Amino acid sequence: MQLPWRAAPRAALSSPLTLVVSIVTTLLLGFVVAAAVLHSSAAGSAALAYQQGRVCPQSMHPSLDGDGIPLAQAVRTATTNGGLGAVYTNIARPDFTGLATYARFGYRPGATEHLRVLQGGGTGLWVPQTVASAAKVKIGDRLVGSTLVVSAIYADLAHPVADWWCSEAKTVVPNPLAGEGASTSVIWVHQAADLALLPADFSSATVSIRFPAEPVTTIAEAEALRDNGNALLAKLGLPLTRTDLVSAAITASATARDNVGSALLPLVVVSVLVGLAGVGTVTVQWAQRRHSELRLLWVRGAGPLALGLRGVLELGLPLVLGGVLGLVAARVLLPLYGPGTAPAPGTLWTALGAVLAVVVLSLAVTVLTACWRTHRTFQGRPRRWRLAVLPWELAVGGLAVLAWLRLAENGLGTRPGAGELPRIDAAALTFPLLVVLAAALLATRVLRWTLTWSHRVQFWRVPAAQLAVRRLAAAAGPVTGVVLVGVLAVGTIAVGSSVAGAQRSALDSKSAVHVGANSTAQVSQDLATGKVALPESLRGTTTLVGVSSGALVVDPATFTDAAIVGDPDRVRAVLAGLGKTGAVASAVRIGRAANQEMQVPGLPLLKPSESLPSFPKLGTRGYVITRSAVPAPEQVGSWHLWSSLPVSALTAELQKAGIHYTNVADRAKVLDGLPFLTVQWTFGFVAAIGVVLAVVAAVALLLAIEVRRRQNAVSGALSTRMGMKPALLWSSHLLEVGAIAVAAVAVGAVASFVSAGAAVPRLDPAPWLNPAPVLPDLVPLLGLMVVCGAAVVAAAAWLALRGVRTARMGELLR
Amino acid sequence: MIRACGVGVSYGGVRAVADMSLRTAPGLTVLSGPSGSGKSTLLRVLSLVERPSAGEVFVHDRPTSQLSWRELRSLRRKEIAVVFQNPADNLIGHLTVGDNLRAAGATDLSLLERLGLGGSGTWRIGALSGGQQQRLAFGCALARGASVVVADEPTSQLDARSADLVLETLTSLPVPVLVASHDPRLVELADLCVPLVAS
Repeated sequence: MQLPWRAAPRAALSSPLTLVVSIVTTLLLGFVVAAAVLHSSAAGSAALAYQQGRVCPQSMHPSLDGDGIPLAQAVRTATTNGGLGAVYTNIARPDFTGLATYARFGYRPGATEHLRVLQGGGTGLWVPQTVASAAKVKIGDRLVGSTLVVSAIYADLAHPVADWWCSEAKTVVPNPLAGEGASTSVIWVHQAADLALLPADFSSATVSIRFPAEPVTTIAEAEALRDNGNALLAKLGLPLTRTDLVSAAITASATARDNVGSALLPLVVVSVLVGLAGVGTVTVQWAQRRHSELRLLWVRGAGPLALGLRGVLELGLPLVLGGVLGLVAARVLLPLYGPGTAPAPGTLWTALGAVLAVVVLSLAVTVLTACWRTHRTFQGRPRRWRLAVLPWELAVGGLAVLAWLRLAENGLGTRPGAGELPRIDAAALTFPLLVVLAAALLATRVLRWTLTWSHRVQFWRVPAAQLAVRRLAAAAGPVTGVVLVGVLAVGTIAVGSSVAGAQRSALDSKSAVHVGANSTAQVSQDLATGKVALPESLRGTTTLVGVSSGALVVDPATFTDAAIVGDPDRVRAVLAGLGKTGAVASAVRIGRAANQEMQVPGLPLLKPSESLPSFPKLGTRGYVITRSAVPAPEQVGSWHLWSSLPVSALTAELQKAGIHYTNVADRAKVLDGLPFLTVQWTFGFVAAIGVVLAVVAAVALLLAIEVRRRQNAVSGALSTRMGMKPALLWSSHLLEVGAIAVAAVAVGAVASFVSAGAAVPRLDPAPWLNPAPVLPDLVPLLGLMVVCGAAVVAAAAWLALRGVRTARMGELLR
Repeated sequence: MIRACGVGVSYGGVRAVADMSLRTAPGLTVLSGPSGSGKSTLLRVLSLVERPSAGEVFVHDRPTSQLSWRELRSLRRKEIAVVFQNPADNLIGHLTVGDNLRAAGATDLSLLERLGLGGSGTWRIGALSGGQQQRLAFGCALARGASVVVADEPTSQLDARSADLVLETLTSLPVPVLVASHDPRLVELADLCVPLVAS
């Protein structure tokens, strides 16, 4: 290799600015691709964590259940095969004192350590309080037909149960509202052998074998758990039913990861293309700066390819370094932008591969650009056309129309089967981004035309404006570049934030409509009939609601205290007008319900007198009547307490008051939020990319000002020496840079708000549930953008004026 | 030996050189004429940096109009050394004086003594005056072993004293030299002078 090529890497040091720009360009490129890989993987892990939060911890490992097994065999099965085995006898009527009641016996290692003892303790029978009260059982009583003696009375388990009991909740938590004998508590024995001492009535049993395992953090760990678990269960070979929740969790997590990955792909491709264009621009600037040397080498016989290699030898190291720094930044900042912090093992290698790929592409672009540039400069003909004349905005606009058609037709994607995640249509998801891109391209073209035409404008009455316009026109290339990136930045931030926010609020609203309140619990009719009063501590936060098929019975006075409604005053006013005339109860007709008299079982004849578009629990179809119009509350299907309190607070108050309850619902957990989270994570990343682009735009603007420092200094120093006031110069720079910022924010905000506004209602992972997602309040976001833009404008203007203040006229003119 | 037969150069509808024929002589050949007469354009064509619109350029009697860019570069690499008007354009700014000579093909730095630049091998290019840079440029041309040196206005950006030193260097070169210049001193030194007129 000849000396000019050998010395090229060291020559890079001769221009620190080119060095920094090259590093930053591939840093951003590397960051985008590495972050996309890490983000997708972290989305899979986050989906797994989300699902683990929704299932019982002891059920994550494949488990075994069986029923109708002879008791002795059940005991052997549960105790000799490892794992956490439990045996529950059939329900029968144990007799302690002659007052027989329904109960079942059970054994689970360590069970008594997870119960709240009310009386006694020890190694005898542990009787639940409900059974002890019903049968008047005391400590020391002996089970008739057995030698077992009661040694403790414990508080019945109730929803929500602790994690240790969660997988057994169906068996161990009594349903006090169920019919006699249908559900009852468990009398615990201290050791499995004690079950052999039970009376003959308890001859069959159900078995559950759980295999408690540490929570998994990645899909790979979950797959290992599944495979090891299934191998273990196959080895045991027990004739029990196998439950495998982890497989479903893996499938859902992998789908979430793939959905996020495929949804990010178009954005990443666009970002990589923008980044490679940036690398090309850096190379073109390098070729301009090295023009003399390249011409010298060319006349000495070097070809364009050799000169391209000369370019990559000089710029290559910074480009590689930038890529590596991008990877490091993506990994370090993952907690800030990613949905989770635990990418799957090997993801970092995948990210490294992706970064290496874009670095190689960058190097190739550098070689080809330098090669093409030198060929065109020294060997080619004058350029007759430019890439800019192609109607890129029309092409992108056409793609946006195609994306809109897919979005309008299918929404996010086809409706999934039961228990499946929707497969997101990545092409449809690109609609708002394509609109932003088309708007950005259109804005830059209009701006370029305007700047070309601007020499006709005479604003000398406002010298600051005239100077600003001339400076903008003189730097049309950098100005349009900054506006393009600025519009993309503002647009992607706004689209990403608004769609992610809409998904968050949609999940919240749909959950609210589905449950009706923050928490609900089914209670007995005694609260409706007045036999039992609502605890004082729940007044103001809780209301009683009767549920019949297609109709709700509400208390107008307290309903809006607890229920989640869009317009509480309107609902309160409508409910206040309800009543009963003879045998007919006036009702509120909800949404699409028929506007005619209606007979609902257990309720009087309903006659719609008012209407509301939607209602908690009912959605957009049903009727609402007031409690006072119901003559027989016991005939209403079921009664529920709706509360604005968290479910734990509601149930704690009910337990304290001794009110039995069942069918607890928690707004935060009632819906599987994974489809919403998937879209939210995707657009969260879009917003993160927008932030990166915003940094690029701001730095590019400041760099452009810094590069023009000498020009600014000369013209500014001359202008002030000819009598221009410094304040006027200051305002001209503010106008110049402010115009760029205003154009970027205005076009980006309008394009993104309009496109997101159209897309958000259609980006609904669960369109069969009301309400549809709506655009969140974007004023705070817009305000933040304006503030940040103003800060950048002020910094750029200060930078421009600094050159004027510190300029030495003689030195400048030399 | 470079020979031009009926060479013409046009840019769009503008004719820069029309029907020009010449043959370089041993020693110093000067293309002289006022600004706009086509000296530099003709020089670029004769140095194979630019293709003529018409006519033929022969290098050692080899016609060049049908050669590809690759073949032209190869021919230029072996036969022709070009020295530009601006001294800084002839040197690689981030290399030292010695490295510039080495980059041109010199195996040792003894040439620096002949150029009056002895002891400057480790200097940065910026440390040389314009005249010194231009002399070093001719040194690089020599070091490349070209059979002809082509120089465009080599003294136009130099003061009189520096220009004298360059002229001294020019006339001492052991290979034919083809120069475009309107410097009367150069014309006086020329073995062959080709006057061009602007039309």
